[in-house]
Amino acid sequence: MRFFAPFCIPFIIGTAFLFAALAVKWGSWLYHLPRADKKLIGRNFFTLATPKAIWEVIRESLLHARIWRVNSLLGYMHTSLAFGWFLLILVGWIETTAYVGLRWVPLQGHVFFKYFAASAHLGHKPVFDFLMDLLLLFVLSGVAWAVAKRIVHRFMGMRRTTRHIVWDKLALSVLWFIFPIRLIAESITCAVHGGGGFLTGSIGTWLAGWVPRSTLYALYEPAWWVYSICLGLFFIAMPFSRYMHIFTEIPLIFLRQYKLRSGKKITSYDNFQVEACSRCGICIDPCQIQTDLGVNDIQSTYFLRDRRYHRLELSVLNNCFMCGRCEQVCPVGINLNTLRQNSRDKMRNVPNEKRYEYFTSVPVEKNSAQSKIGYFTGCMTHLTPGMKQAMERIFTATGESVWWADREGGVCCGRPLLLSGETDSARKMIDFNTRLIRESGITTLVTSCAICLKVFRDEYHLTGVELLHHSEYIERLLVKGSLKPARANDESFTYHDPCELGRGCGIYDAPRAVIASVGVLVEPEQTREMSLCCGSSLANTVIDDGQQLRVSRSAVDTLTATGAKTIVTACPLCKKALARGTSHNIRVKDLAEIVAERL
Amino acid sequence: MRRRHTSNRNSVAAIDWGYGINKARVINADVNDLRMSEAILREMPELQTCIGCGGCTATCTAGALTDFNFRMLHTLVRRGEYEGMYEQLNKCMLCGKCRLVCPRGINTRALVMLLKRKLGDN
Ligand code: SF4
Ligand code: SF4
Ligand code: SF4
Ligand code: SF4
Repeated sequence: MRFFAPFCIPFIIGTAFLFAALAVKWGSWLYHLPRADKKLIGRNFFTLATPKAIWEVIRESLLHARIWRVNSLLGYMHTSLAFGWFLLILVGWIETTAYVGLRWVPLQGHVFFKYFAASAHLGHKPVFDFLMDLLLLFVLSGVAWAVAKRIVHRFMGMRRTTRHIVWDKLALSVLWFIFPIRLIAESITCAVHGGGGFLTGSIGTWLAGWVPRSTLYALYEPAWWVYSICLGLFFIAMPFSRYMHIFTEIPLIFLRQYKLRSGKKITSYDNFQVEACSRCGICIDPCQIQTDLGVNDIQSTYFLRDRRYHRLELSVLNNCFMCGRCEQVCPVGINLNTLRQNSRDKMRNVPNEKRYEYFTSVPVEKNSAQSKIGYFTGCMTHLTPGMKQAMERIFTATGESVWWADREGGVCCGRPLLLSGETDSARKMIDFNTRLIRESGITTLVTSCAICLKVFRDEYHLTGVELLHHSEYIERLLVKGSLKPARANDESFTYHDPCELGRGCGIYDAPRAVIASVGVLVEPEQTREMSLCCGSSLANTVIDDGQQLRVSRSAVDTLTATGAKTIVTACPLCKKALARGTSHNIRVKDLAEIVAERL
Repeated sequence: MRRRHTSNRNSVAAIDWGYGINKARVINADVNDLRMSEAILREMPELQTCIGCGGCTATCTAGALTDFNFRMLHTLVRRGEYEGMYEQLNKCMLCGKCRLVCPRGINTRALVMLLKRKLGDN
């Protein structure tokens, strides 16, 4: 039996092209990986990481478990398309084997098996007819959802859905046609040759009854041609469109299991992350720049798209809080903040050895009392003297001797420059402060600024010095009993998780424990991992003052909807930002302040 | 605070009064090339709302450690004086305090980044 007919040509060309494009893309990305990354792959390849990756591929690339968790309708759509198509291929292969035995059959033989089996009068195996029809129906239901999503996205519980580029539109349109046309082609085949399951068989019988036989014969080959052309076109568009994500997520999962990570500088590994984005648009809805400001072209899906097609503009790149709310929901688990940061590095980093030479003459605070605990105020806390005084009262109350790293002002922690992409300049600050902290001889460093804490933990090499946020420090003091604030059972507080502290450093519980020790904590609707950004994030250098205020007001609205009269936060910048967005009867306080008030 | 003379160019007096006065400066607007300054204002029109209060300079982290004076700097740039400005700007740490205190809500951090881009980077 020959598995070839002229209509297979578009399919064969498309497939060959796809495999070639994949080989080139994967090959060059892997080839250009940094040495250290290649070593990681080598080291982790023959470990448990590989089976774990395989399992994750099944769970995520086929079943799309994470999308189900975000939105079950969307989950069904992705599963039916991906898993359904996969099963069609798998069961199709088994079907072929069942008919012709275990022998080599070219790819088009499997894909167009219905055609070849019918032409060769192979007879029918009703089990497979049934199974294949069931799977086809499964996939078709997914296509129907996808079409519906385009037309009415609210239908899927999504406020917004991604706008696409030309390649995407081509691939998308063809994808919509592939399965309906397959249904038509198979049904006509059944009408002419008989057989088929409950779907193709029934339509076939119906067609045979109503359509003249000559017409059916005339449509028979063309229907298969159209099906083959659709497949071919889809495969050709695939590597240039968002559908490249199908073949990129798989290696991404493996590499991630092998512990490869994106960093402050762009590396080849980033390609896997960038092209693994399916532009599903799940990241759009949580973005406050969309919901509060109505800006619709900066969200992660657009950022990744622009970066991928080399048309990223500073106005898109820099218009982001790097709040991490989108990263929290991204079903592919892309490190959106890191990618944005290294794009900024690429576009903004200016290596300049002469910068900050003046640091060498900055007077260094001596730790003359040999204190073991140090306190880093940070620029922003210098602007919120209430916080500074509260920390002072707490230190006094505990009787601990504390070395102030920058009581009168010092060098910035470096995080703002890092967020702006000026990585090399930030390094100078990190080096300066690292030396300052090391020379002081402290073993614990406390800071009340979430921004400073984030960069201390991520970028500073301070082994032997424990880095604490003041929320963690105060919690310890409370547990130890060295702080005994008076608790007011009738006063309720609501808590705003600073992005850098919560999603940034994973600190959610310590501030809550501290609040619970002085009053009643009431949680706002969006909290913890999904808490809102205050709107003043240093990462955004595009929006203006009025826009910052709008974001802050809407965050405040969510917080005050709890009925609490005091908003507590744990970052000086959040405190300032939220205070601007409140009306007069609401207080905005730092964690340290509400504790110090009650000592 | 670490006390230092607030004068940015030369201290005027031999006696240390604890403060100083900026040397009078003559800016010849006929000679200065304002094209760059206009381009900067086009990209950041809100800078025109600056009232010269000096809040940005007073709170500046870099200004507390060096003679960097942000208000003077952006005022001079607007007047077409670009000489040495890039080197001055490189002292800024982008910490963002100035943005928080500016009574006109000017996006001063974006201004620093814009000026650096226009006056020297790359
Ligand atoms: S970044 Fe993630 S959530 Fe956003 S479109 Fe891409 S895959 Fe979807
Ligand atoms: S990090 Fe925040 S501001 Fe930036 S795109 Fe994501 S949700 Fe929007
Ligand atoms: S951002 Fe720059 S100019 Fe503004 S206060 Fe900080 S160091 Fe000074
Ligand atoms: S604080 Fe604002 S208004 Fe005042 S001088 Fe600086 S930029 Fe101008």
